[in-house]
Amino acid sequence: MPEPSTAAGAPENGTGATSPRSLAEALRARDDAALSALLHSRPDLLNPVPGDVTQLATRAGTRASVVRALERLDRFTLQTAEALAVAPDPCPYPVLEGLLSGGEDERARAALPRALDTLRDQALVWGDEDRLRLVRTARELLAPSPQRPSPTGLGPTVAEATAGMSPTRVQEIVAAAGLPGTHDPVSAVTALTALFTDPERMSALLDEAPAEAHQVLGRLVWGPPYGEVTPNPAPPVRWLRDRGLLLPATARTVVLPREVALHLRGGLAHRDTSPVAPPVPAHREHRPQLVDANAAGQALAALATVEELVKSWEHTGPPVLRAGGLSVRDLKRAAAGLDTTEASAAFWIELAYAAGLLASDGEADERYAPTPAFDDWRELPPAERWSVLAAAWLPATRTAGLVGEQDAKGRTLSALGPELDRSAAPEVRRRVLELLADLPEGASADTEAVLARLAWERPVRTASDLRARLAGWALTEAEVLGVTGRGALSGPGRALLEHRDPAPLLAPLLPEPVDHVLLQADLTAVAPGPLRRPLGDTLAVLADVESKGGATVYRFTPGSVRRALDAGHAAADLHAFLKEHSRTPVPQPLAYLIDDVARRHGHLRVGAASSYVRCDDDAMLGEILADKRSAGLGLRRLAPTVLAARAEPTALLEGLRAMGYAPAAESGTGDVLVARADAHRTPARSAPVPVPDGPPVPDATLLGAAVRAIRAGDLAATAVRKDPGPAAGVPGELPRTSAAETLATVQAAALTGSAVWIGYVNADGAASQRVIAPVRVEGGFVTGYDHTADEVRTYALHRVTGVAELADDHL
Amino acid sequence: MNGPLIVQSDKTLLLEVDHELAGAARRAIAPFAELERAPEHIHTYRITPLGLWNARAAGHDAEQVVDALVEYSRYPVPHALLVDVAETMARYGRLTLSKHPVHGLVLTSTDRPVLEEILRSKKITPLVGARLDPDTVAVHPSERGQIKQTLLKLGWPAEDLAGYVDGEAHAIDLAEDGWALRPYQQQAVEGFWHGGSGVVVLPCGAGKTLVGAGAMAKAKATTLILVTNTVSARQWKHELVKRTSLTEEEIGEYSGTRKEIRPVTIATYQVLTTKRKGVYPHLELFDSRDWGLIVYDEVHLLPAPVFKFTADLQARRRLGLTATLVREDGRESDVFSLIGPKRFDAPWKEIEAQGYIAPADCVEVRVNLTESERLAYATAETEEKYRFCATTATKRKVTEALVRKHKGEQTLVIGQYIDQLDELGEHLDAPVIKGETSNAQREKLFGAFREGEISVLVVSKVANFSIDLPEATVAIQVSGTFGSRQEEAQRLGRVLRPKADGHEARFYSVVARDTIDQDFAAHRQRFLAEQGYAYRIMDADELLAND
Repeated sequence: MPEPSTAAGAPENGTGATSPRSLAEALRARDDAALSALLHSRPDLLNPVPGDVTQLATRAGTRASVVRALERLDRFTLQTAEALAVAPDPCPYPVLEGLLSGGEDERARAALPRALDTLRDQALVWGDEDRLRLVRTARELLAPSPQRPSPTGLGPTVAEATAGMSPTRVQEIVAAAGLPGTHDPVSAVTALTALFTDPERMSALLDEAPAEAHQVLGRLVWGPPYGEVTPNPAPPVRWLRDRGLLLPATARTVVLPREVALHLRGGLAHRDTSPVAPPVPAHREHRPQLVDANAAGQALAALATVEELVKSWEHTGPPVLRAGGLSVRDLKRAAAGLDTTEASAAFWIELAYAAGLLASDGEADERYAPTPAFDDWRELPPAERWSVLAAAWLPATRTAGLVGEQDAKGRTLSALGPELDRSAAPEVRRRVLELLADLPEGASADTEAVLARLAWERPVRTASDLRARLAGWALTEAEVLGVTGRGALSGPGRALLEHRDPAPLLAPLLPEPVDHVLLQADLTAVAPGPLRRPLGDTLAVLADVESKGGATVYRFTPGSVRRALDAGHAAADLHAFLKEHSRTPVPQPLAYLIDDVARRHGHLRVGAASSYVRCDDDAMLGEILADKRSAGLGLRRLAPTVLAARAEPTALLEGLRAMGYAPAAESGTGDVLVARADAHRTPARSAPVPVPDGPPVPDATLLGAAVRAIRAGDLAATAVRKDPGPAAGVPGELPRTSAAETLATVQAAALTGSAVWIGYVNADGAASQRVIAPVRVEGGFVTGYDHTADEVRTYALHRVTGVAELADDHL
Repeated sequence: MNGPLIVQSDKTLLLEVDHELAGAARRAIAPFAELERAPEHIHTYRITPLGLWNARAAGHDAEQVVDALVEYSRYPVPHALLVDVAETMARYGRLTLSKHPVHGLVLTSTDRPVLEEILRSKKITPLVGARLDPDTVAVHPSERGQIKQTLLKLGWPAEDLAGYVDGEAHAIDLAEDGWALRPYQQQAVEGFWHGGSGVVVLPCGAGKTLVGAGAMAKAKATTLILVTNTVSARQWKHELVKRTSLTEEEIGEYSGTRKEIRPVTIATYQVLTTKRKGVYPHLELFDSRDWGLIVYDEVHLLPAPVFKFTADLQARRRLGLTATLVREDGRESDVFSLIGPKRFDAPWKEIEAQGYIAPADCVEVRVNLTESERLAYATAETEEKYRFCATTATKRKVTEALVRKHKGEQTLVIGQYIDQLDELGEHLDAPVIKGETSNAQREKLFGAFREGEISVLVVSKVANFSIDLPEATVAIQVSGTFGSRQEEAQRLGRVLRPKADGHEARFYSVVARDTIDQDFAAHRQRFLAEQGYAYRIMDADELLAND
């Protein structure tokens, strides 16, 4: 929406040549640094790059851009903007200061210049100190209207509230208020306004009010300023209404005029002005070393958890759901595997995903699996591995905390699935950590204080508490990841926040990898620290892991030793391996166990054969083996009287017959089989189901809906117009009227509550005809009940091709 | 950051024994962590809710626990674990059972939501009476044990401050003529008395009977002693007469054969749990006198019905004695809630180091079955398999060779199957003691063994418990109750009494190779190894070749 004052550049009541007359002019006067600061804080203005300052000013005044800019203001700056929206336009600085400080609040007075500077920087306010002007769109957004109450709780001004009132009524009010009568309604309203803004006369007037009237005022003073009244109200209300202290808003409601409310409030625009950001004090202080140690402990646990998680998906990872993401069952399984809750499992999974350690394999039967980056990651020293995780976590927009919740359409959000990105997440996360970083080293903050501070910095204008929840998650995640320890930012966490590499700080806090284990007689091996990788991997084959943490406890069992032998290690290798890596002598029972398992290992041999040849005469079997023609059968002598063959029994029979032998087939129990062709059958099948002719009979709901749609379409097409203008002549064609005429007609219809027939072209260029009953016309949009669609809809006026009234008998 | 302790994420603590701070660390963590395994280099402790509550009951707070962990830990302790410790410990003591001057037994809470939570439980509702005020609810005095058991299951263990009845006074003193309670026994008695009720954990041979006697001397009241069997009952009586001011006449035996009720009465679990026509006829024993103290010997064997009776005895002091809190049936929590928290614990090896029990050399002898035996084993029914491999003839030969090897030493041959024992007795020319052997005969044979008149004794599992045979230096185990760990401990305990000449005891297990016998043996020996008794494995062929 264009800013008329910008485009017109109309001269204001001359206040000197230096005073800017429009936002464009004010922007033009700024230096390049200020302009680039503006573009930096409102990047949407750059898209596309404006052609000139006028265009920039125009775009800075568009509704979408202003809304976005307002959402990024802190509470006091927003309150300043709100105060400007209820102040006279333009507003001198002292008036604004009065609205915010009530003349008494020193802190508000002190904070105001900064807030005003912010608003100016954001191009939301322009003009000199004595002529401050809020950008018109912002004013429209923030000023109170019956539809949208202002956060200030103030109502319309006397002038606004009396706009539609009969002059006689205004005269009566003026007289009742004890003012000299005047026949000119404008000067009457001015006189009334002057009375209400004069503290002394106002106090005198209110002193006469009955006590109950004060109660009524007390109820309305901090808003909402509207009150319902009966047609014949109680005396106190009548007293107030007669004097204009309450003005009628609609037939059944009255409103407290802004001037009266301000007088009662002592001039304050807000009940609670919060000029100062709520402090985030140190909640509990720990020794920084302790914090770092604690955080390092968590960091170590985090590394182990991520590695365990991703490794567990190495062989058969969980399948990817058709809609993307991980099924609830697989999440549960992962949580059970990690011995943690589902929420925390979701966090680890998303973290590994954000760090690029796991992803979908993209196969036809799509599954999640570790990425090649995971292998590189595992090769890094622990501190650097942590850096990778932390660096992936800090800027991530994916939000694990949402997993398990439902989206707007009632679908459950799954881990690794779509719809988990929240663009505010990185900003909130960083801000939370910055608040912790502002505290002395080793101090933790109270969560409530952090949340209060965040709420002040970005007073949430929407109902959702997403930012608070994001902040809560950020604190928990920082703790489990080891960015914080005992709630305080750790050294490595601070480095991460300051864009330095945390690894050198973390490395000395993490245990050094060890290259030895302690072997014990109860057949366990204890690695008193993280093991160097090749050693750890071999040991993991040779023994079962029993306990994890700073150290690892392995247990040797016959099964685990056999696994090592199966993996190709010989008993002698294992003895040598243990001897080399053990700090303690190898206990006799362990050595015995290895030998005992090795003794039996491979005693039984298993192989695959498709068929066999059995013959009591080993000479004949020797003959067959020697025959070159048997080469293709894959024969091998297992025992003097048995040959195993790779060929299928039938092929073997054929082959042997071709060689001139007369073999007989044998059954599983050794009987001779008699060959007989089997009759062919299909697998189990069910009989065909009868297919009826034509579509199924529709049910009552469907029928009802269809009839309603037909009737509504009918109504739009055949509506008899009151005034069939030349443009709307042919039935079925879109009505055509000029823009001014359209606006006037829908506004009139909104006032009378009658329905109109409109032609409408939607964003895709498709034209339609609709019958609507306009309710509200504002901001270039008409909102009304659409009889065609049977619901309340909003249409852009510039897309309405034309409008025609309906004949009364149609609705 | 170079402590002796490593805190694992599964709440086990690994203690490096050879570290210079190991002793200090052990003392710091012993109050709240259970020693799970004590092999030669690294001991494993486990932090369990019961252990933490034991510590709370002993007056330790979460801060001390966290400090101990943080101070001695080699690596950073995960924050989550510390939080968990603090939260678990905070659950103990939120509820207390106490005596109200007007309403009798009451359950009080310092945390109202907890009280609300537990009162909502269906299991608690029948146990409590009227709500006296927002934080207090009356409890039926008869349900004192039941409610403690149930609250523990709900995760809110109650502290029992309701006190005890003094019971009928009876003068009992220790007769310390030429002997004295050992320091650890003294500590155990003090620990128990201070705590009111609870369990004392001491290894076999460490003199648990004397701890019982010490407790009785403290209580100076009529005492009911529950023991596993008659032989054990006689031994208790013998020991009490010798060590205290009690005389034969003051001590009664309540068993299958005799039903004496005297100021000090020793009853067997067997007779208490005898059921006739659906009732326990001997239960009145508990009410027959105003007992001031009840002693449970071998608490880990306490049969389930005794738990039930014990629940009704919460107003009397209870002392549990055992070598291990491990119960094969996993009812450790019932021991905690009904008898009481652990009041004293000394690791086996520590007492051995002090010279109160003898060191032992444990050897597993692996016997190769003959081919025909292997075939027979392979075809045996599943339920017969163990019996078959545990009683093979080859084992007998090996056992004979072992007895020959230790000729002249006092040797016990212990087994499970009577025919095997009879056969062994015959071949070894040694008397056999089994279930059907009369008590008089048993006493006589044990006496002869103690005097050295006979040097080899073949015993069935009747000898698992509480038979004092201090002279035995060699024990040969030929078969056992499958993989029972506590049986292994009891049997080893037979040879652990300190020897006059400081001689090392020997404990042999004869095991059939490649059979289920070997698997069971592995399970049993793991327990020994975890107690710090390293064992060697030798081949029977080697033994027979040397023979």
